[in-house]
Amino acid sequence: MRLLLVEDEIDIQNFLRSSLQEAGYQVEAAADGKTAERVAIDGQFDILIVDLGLPDQDGISLILRLRQLGVRAPVLILSARRSVDDRVRGLEQGGDDYLTKPFALAELLARLRNLLKRNSPPSNEATRLRVLDLELDLLRREAIRSGQLLQLTPQEFVLLEYLCRNAGRVVTRSMILDKVWGMRIQPDTNVVDVHIYRLRGKVDGHGQQPLIRTLRGVGYVLKDR
Amino acid sequence: MSSKIASPIMHSAAWRISLWATLAFACGTVLVFVFLHNFVADDIQRRSDAWLSGEVEVLGDVAERTPKDALYDRVVGEVAELAGKEVPNKLLSESSSNDSVFFLQTGGDGSLKLWVGAGDGKPNLRAIRAIQIVPDHPTDLRVMGFDVPFRVASIRIDDGTNIYLGLSERDELRVLRSLRLRFFLIWLLLVLFGFAIVFFTTRRMLSHVREITEAASRIGHSDLNARVPTTERNDEVGHLARTLNRMLDRIENSVHQLHTITDSLAHDLRSPLTAIRGKLEMSLSAVDQAEQAEPIVAAIEELDRLTEFLNQSLDVAESKADALRLTRSEVDLDELLRIMIDLYEPSMSEKGLQIKLQSKGPIRIAADAALIHRMVANIFDNELKHLPADSTVTIQLRNEGESIALICEDNGPGFSEEVLAHLFERRVKGLESNGHGLGLAFIDAVARAHGGTASARNRRSGGARIEVLLPHAARELAKSPMAARQGAA
Repeated sequence: MRLLLVEDEIDIQNFLRSSLQEAGYQVEAAADGKTAERVAIDGQFDILIVDLGLPDQDGISLILRLRQLGVRAPVLILSARRSVDDRVRGLEQGGDDYLTKPFALAELLARLRNLLKRNSPPSNEATRLRVLDLELDLLRREAIRSGQLLQLTPQEFVLLEYLCRNAGRVVTRSMILDKVWGMRIQPDTNVVDVHIYRLRGKVDGHGQQPLIRTLRGVGYVLKDR
Repeated sequence: MSSKIASPIMHSAAWRISLWATLAFACGTVLVFVFLHNFVADDIQRRSDAWLSGEVEVLGDVAERTPKDALYDRVVGEVAELAGKEVPNKLLSESSSNDSVFFLQTGGDGSLKLWVGAGDGKPNLRAIRAIQIVPDHPTDLRVMGFDVPFRVASIRIDDGTNIYLGLSERDELRVLRSLRLRFFLIWLLLVLFGFAIVFFTTRRMLSHVREITEAASRIGHSDLNARVPTTERNDEVGHLARTLNRMLDRIENSVHQLHTITDSLAHDLRSPLTAIRGKLEMSLSAVDQAEQAEPIVAAIEELDRLTEFLNQSLDVAESKADALRLTRSEVDLDELLRIMIDLYEPSMSEKGLQIKLQSKGPIRIAADAALIHRMVANIFDNELKHLPADSTVTIQLRNEGESIALICEDNGPGFSEEVLAHLFERRVKGLESNGHGLGLAFIDAVARAHGGTASARNRRSGGARIEVLLPHAARELAKSPMAARQGAA
């Protein structure tokens, strides 16, 4: 996967580059709009990360310009601004996504994956999800672990489904809040942890290998190995 | 006109101005008419007095010259009757029977000698005897049995008799009455006409003021670049509009300036925060031992709280200046509260708290969903952090006509005296703030930005009560031109 990173802050560019490379992306970086334009046209990129506050031009103008020049790759917009620009909303509706700084790496990676998935032809939507000995029936809303039916509330099922869909990958609290409860908030209390704790009590029963792992300060992983 | 339509007109300034102007006009015209009326009345009286004096002299002359024989009564009577036919101000429709004039002659002893007129003349004689009538000076005379007084002139002739000629004031009064009626009708027309003219001209003038007011009231939080309509004319109203627009220019400038400051502050702080967070995350992935990870994890968590604190302080600062930008969409508060309760319920029951929702179904308002989410999360976080075990939180959602009430009550210890005194004040106590610091200020900020209010107090039965009033979604979903401009800057 070829990725173009347009970010003028060298510190941020550096850590993003190495994290993205670690995640398996081939990363090209540009520090301003002019360079970005040139690099984007020369190379075939699968995805772009564009910071809104570039030194020479506005990130949105750059994206619109690239679109005119025939660059079709989806864009993840990084913004340090407080309010979400109407034009960013427009791009979001056009299939791009935005992330406010500061962000968790896990969330950045998840959003990149989503953007790439959105742009690839939709695979047949599975009706069953399977992670190790955990199986989810999405139609009957049932979860079975080692042949045992788990007694989950509807909300717990949605949470488990989200973890299963991202099995092996880190999901953060704010990602869970966004996808499962549909709100972008930063609670001052451990509300998400308690949900995970309860879910874990039901999924990881006695003597079974624990599936849901907590990565403190980062988020949660549903183990798939 | 129905009272519904009438009442706003009655309360308008145009109505009051017209009323006062008309009152002054009406008083003025009444004075003029009273003066005219008195003038006419005096004139009529003078004419009838002149006629009376003339006639009584002629009659006296005739009475003097006519020989005192059997025909005396008839001759004088005929002359008197003839005189009665030439009464001034007499209406043509008057019946032939003449009761408006009487002729009376008394003898030297004061007895009735000759009488021409309606009735037998005895009440007239009694009335004449009762008052002193000076010759050549017509006097008012009230006679029993007649509604209107007579005007009486007298003359004394040589044979020692007195001749009295009385003219009823009935016709004179009738003329004056019809004059008054006409005056009144003209006056009424004038007043109504004048009122209409004053009312419509002032209303037209004031309609410009109303347009300005309406335009100014439409200029809300997000619509600061709109201006009130101006007219070409150089009058007070045009001046008002231009002054208002200059003031709006200045306000827009200040708000724009505030946004620039808060935005660049946010930007300048968030960029290094992003870099720090990234580095922390990378070093976290490099360590294996849990003991080594612990300080890094703590740092990341602190950093996330710092970020949220930064966001909230800037929101509170902007809201204090009524400059918080909103991106409105339709929000169902009932649904939102149910989701929030679903999210917070496990944490609350872990702590031994109960949470109940009292809501009668969907209530939709046009609001900034993200801000409302954060506001409700703030309220719930507050309860979660401060309530002792076995407390109950009751959330009520009520439609109170003009606005929606979101009430959060608990049966815990309530706010302390010290906190209660400074509730909703922006106390930047830093991250150690015990929730009631910036938390409540943020709740207030969101409520204000939506044109509502927030209040907090201790319940009489114990426990805290936070009430947020949000106006109904009546206002149309306003776009946010300020945000668009911000992006272009």
